[in-house]
Amino acid sequence: MTIQWIWGLLRTQPGRSIGFAAGLAMSVALLAMLGLFMHHSAASMTARSIATVPIDWQVELVPGADATGIESAIRNAASARVVEPVGYAKVNGFEFGTGTVQTTGEGKAVGLGPDYLTAFPQGVRLLSGNFSGAVLLQQTAANLHAGPGDTIILHRPGLPDVTTKVSGVVDLQNADSFFQPIGVPPGAAPQAPPDNAVLLPMPEWSSLFSEQAKTRPDSVRTELHVALDRTKLPTGPDDAYAKTLQQGHNFEARVAGSALLANNIAARLDAARGDALYARVLFFFLGAPGIALAALLSITVAASGRDGRRRDQSLLRLRGAPTSTILRFAAAEAITLGLSGVIVGLVLAGVLTPLLFGLNLLSSAGLSWALGSAMGGLALALGAILVPAWQTGRTLSVVSARQAIGRSRRPLWRTVGLDGILLVIAAIIYWRTAATGYQVVLATEGVAATAVDYTAFLAPVLLWMGAGLLTLRLVDWGLDRGRTALETILLPFAGPVAGAVAASIRRQRRRLAVGIALTALAFAFASSTAIFNTTYQAQARVDAELTNGADVTITGSAGAPAAARLRELGKISGVMGIQAMQHRYAYVGNDLQDLYGIDPGAIGTATNLSDAFFSGSTAAAVLAKLAQTPAGVLVSEETVTDYQLKLGDMLNLRLQGEDHQYHVVPFEFVGVVREFPTAPRDSFLVANAAYVAEKTGVDVRETVLMRVSGDVAAIKDAALRITETMPGLRVTSLADATHLIGSSLTAVDLSGLTRLELIFAALMVVGATGLVLALGLADRRKSFAVLTVLGAKRRHLAAFIWSEGGIVLVAGAAIGTLTGVLVAAILVKVLSGVFDPPPEGLAIPIGYLSGMVLLSLVATSIAVANAAREARIEPIQRLKELS
Amino acid sequence: MSSLTLQVPLFSAEAAGRTFVRGKGNIVAVQAATFQLLQGETIAIVGRSGSGKSTLLHIIAGLDVPSFGAVDWPALGAREQLRPGKVGMMFQSPSLVPSLDVAENVMLPLALLDVPGNTLDQAIRELARFGIADLAHKLPEELSGGQAQRVSLARALVARPRLVVADEPTGQLDHASGTALIEALLTWTAEANATLVIATHDLEIASRMKRSWQMDHGALALDNEIATK
Repeated sequence: MTIQWIWGLLRTQPGRSIGFAAGLAMSVALLAMLGLFMHHSAASMTARSIATVPIDWQVELVPGADATGIESAIRNAASARVVEPVGYAKVNGFEFGTGTVQTTGEGKAVGLGPDYLTAFPQGVRLLSGNFSGAVLLQQTAANLHAGPGDTIILHRPGLPDVTTKVSGVVDLQNADSFFQPIGVPPGAAPQAPPDNAVLLPMPEWSSLFSEQAKTRPDSVRTELHVALDRTKLPTGPDDAYAKTLQQGHNFEARVAGSALLANNIAARLDAARGDALYARVLFFFLGAPGIALAALLSITVAASGRDGRRRDQSLLRLRGAPTSTILRFAAAEAITLGLSGVIVGLVLAGVLTPLLFGLNLLSSAGLSWALGSAMGGLALALGAILVPAWQTGRTLSVVSARQAIGRSRRPLWRTVGLDGILLVIAAIIYWRTAATGYQVVLATEGVAATAVDYTAFLAPVLLWMGAGLLTLRLVDWGLDRGRTALETILLPFAGPVAGAVAASIRRQRRRLAVGIALTALAFAFASSTAIFNTTYQAQARVDAELTNGADVTITGSAGAPAAARLRELGKISGVMGIQAMQHRYAYVGNDLQDLYGIDPGAIGTATNLSDAFFSGSTAAAVLAKLAQTPAGVLVSEETVTDYQLKLGDMLNLRLQGEDHQYHVVPFEFVGVVREFPTAPRDSFLVANAAYVAEKTGVDVRETVLMRVSGDVAAIKDAALRITETMPGLRVTSLADATHLIGSSLTAVDLSGLTRLELIFAALMVVGATGLVLALGLADRRKSFAVLTVLGAKRRHLAAFIWSEGGIVLVAGAAIGTLTGVLVAAILVKVLSGVFDPPPEGLAIPIGYLSGMVLLSLVATSIAVANAAREARIEPIQRLKELS
Repeated sequence: MSSLTLQVPLFSAEAAGRTFVRGKGNIVAVQAATFQLLQGETIAIVGRSGSGKSTLLHIIAGLDVPSFGAVDWPALGAREQLRPGKVGMMFQSPSLVPSLDVAENVMLPLALLDVPGNTLDQAIRELARFGIADLAHKLPEELSGGQAQRVSLARALVARPRLVVADEPTGQLDHASGTALIEALLTWTAEANATLVIATHDLEIASRMKRSWQMDHGALALDNEIATK
């Protein structure tokens, strides 16, 4: 009997059944795919952030400490894959020369075990020779004019000189980390790595410096470099950070002061976990509306069959069926359609996941999300079909079950003004977020605990819900009160039946309002997602531009300034603008900050300077002010706050002069800068290059920025060829910057997620406009058949059907797009931490939005054309069927 | 037979019948019938349920086409031009548009004809003819079956058609109400000099018509004479 019932439903209501299952399938597929993508992106963010960490832990042994015991403590505290000893010895200088003798300043001699380079291959790039003996750093080799086969002298402090034979030259790319002082308090001024160093095989290093370790123990130290087993780290950066931090603490407790730890991996994860949290909330809040909308679509489709179901229930009860039988039928319907939707959804996810993300739904994480999504889908099916059946069964009379239009009561939400309440709360929360400018994600440096203020997301969520309900209210009110106006609007299209069409629309305003609200929500989802994603992508480019400084950037040093090749670089075909810029360091109080010396009037020719980079004024105005004030300096917001600066204040900075000593140079604070090409995120300064050169006596420009057009890679290659004779120069392009940003959220490739969301948004727009309209029109087949037998011509029927479709489409698209723009604006504001720098405005994807309108127009046209065609097919037969 | 008159008939059937495909076979709903309808006639088609009365009425109203034979509306024009102005049809089953109120339903044929002026007054007058003007602003679902039938009849008449076809117009009415409705209908027909064809199984109602035709298993007997060949 139950099977017959289900078969009958599928046979008589195929459109509604397919529509419900399709909506459910979208919910299931979207949830499964988003979940898997979220899981994978967290894992990839962790992997990407630590991929460039060459040494996970650096453990410095306190003189006299037992190295074996320390290594044992390391292995007990964490899963160490490799532990390699490294010796560091200070040398007063290096010397080489057969005719002309070259010497250097003080440096380091480093001893490496035989397996070190195999265990820690990252960051050491062999430029010439081999690793069989002493290996010089590139800078040292250049300073000494030495190479493989040469024998150099090492000046040991307080001991006679020793010699070693050079076997190779390397570029030590992670010198900062490799030579970092361990155990310095957080916030201490960074120490530059030594300019000169030699890497020695451990036996040779021991023989050369064992005596120095005794006579000058302060000048020799031993470290253990540790590579942890990263496969045992948790997936997400926050969990991975917590684990590595705790392992580090465990180690420190075990060694009890006999060793110092530099937890490089935890430090890197610390920086990434804030981004990871942003990524999680970003995925969630971009994806959740889509899932909710798909679920809402299913519920609406189920609800659109409510009248038929009520009549069926009425007939069943007339024939004496108990409530339990009615509920059994409803449960069977829910399970049948639910399982169908779940299977289709999982198949869809299984097909799309590899195409969009390159992931496999059959992986363990994928299967977990698939299972969760399937359960959610079934719960939704039961909720959408069984619960209303149960409620109807409890309250419905046989007579009322046969009513279709009815003068229904005002819903409770309208009586209490829930739409207004939601919108007011959304406005208050948004105002609080926007006014205080606080960060929604809190990941305090060095603290394992992180927090996400999810209440901030109530603003877009409540706006979305409030706008949906307000749409229902406004459409209901407008169609009720505006019948005359509607008739006037419809007159050109509907002609003599305009009055009847307007009356019919007014009478069905609740049903139409639901269709319009659903269409509006679909458009809101599509437009907000598209706008946010477009803005995000635009800012990702700005971020890359900021990081790299320009399309192509050549970075040098005081010893090898990039500006030395300025003329040749400017002649490369495709270079549209070129500028040299100083990059120095200056002390603000005790805080060492980056200082950029520029030509304010010309810097804009080589790089983009957005108004958002500056606070309180436009880029042009701030740069003009700097140009007018030779001693002017632009200060970052953080420094302005920390040092309580006011515009016009005199600021004494300490800059390094040609004597390599720091001297006080007076500046005038003329503007606030938030971001600047190549500058770090937090604190930095921008000043006039001419003034800096005059006051320091050093007129070199370390960095060159180039604005280019055409083949960037080819121009970069040309720049590389021009600068290859200058060791230490680095040529980078925007593409390199994107990789360099590492774990930064704007560098996360959201293209797969974007495609997924935009595809589903399009499907939902089609579903909301086409499917819901089609089902609504299907409910009215009898009315159209009646009109036909009364003598309505094709144009009359078209007036009835198109008017409904047109109202749903136009009102839904207009209200939805407006809501989408608002939601996107709020999301951008709430997620301001994602954007670095914050966007000046929203980027509107006109093409995509036009496509959505076109798609919905096609869906509406198909639904309307199908209804019009059906209305003319055997109206007598249709009347008999539907009576 | 009416075919002997010199009047141009409103409707003419020549060996016209209707079959429906059911499964692998055909069901003959109306056997080949030859007859004419003239202006001013009132005809009752009497027969049991399933005898083919409704199908025949649909063919007369131009809502259905015969499977064989020929039909024509010599005094009314082509089939496509019959409704809503020249033929008014009232169905046995509920046929009101649920999203329009009673008055709007009755006004529909006038709107389809693009009749100028205050069509609401016309609709109210038509409703008043059947004593239901007070229902003008009710929704169809708020009506009883009998009220809905009277509204349906008012709608069939509002455009003053020359041929009125009513399928069981008193089917859901009590005897007194049915009699009153038929009186009103006959009065209207007389005033408008229209032709009325009703299907009924109520012999008393049938007796009020000028002519009474029998239908049995699709075969039509005109005035006690079998018209089916």
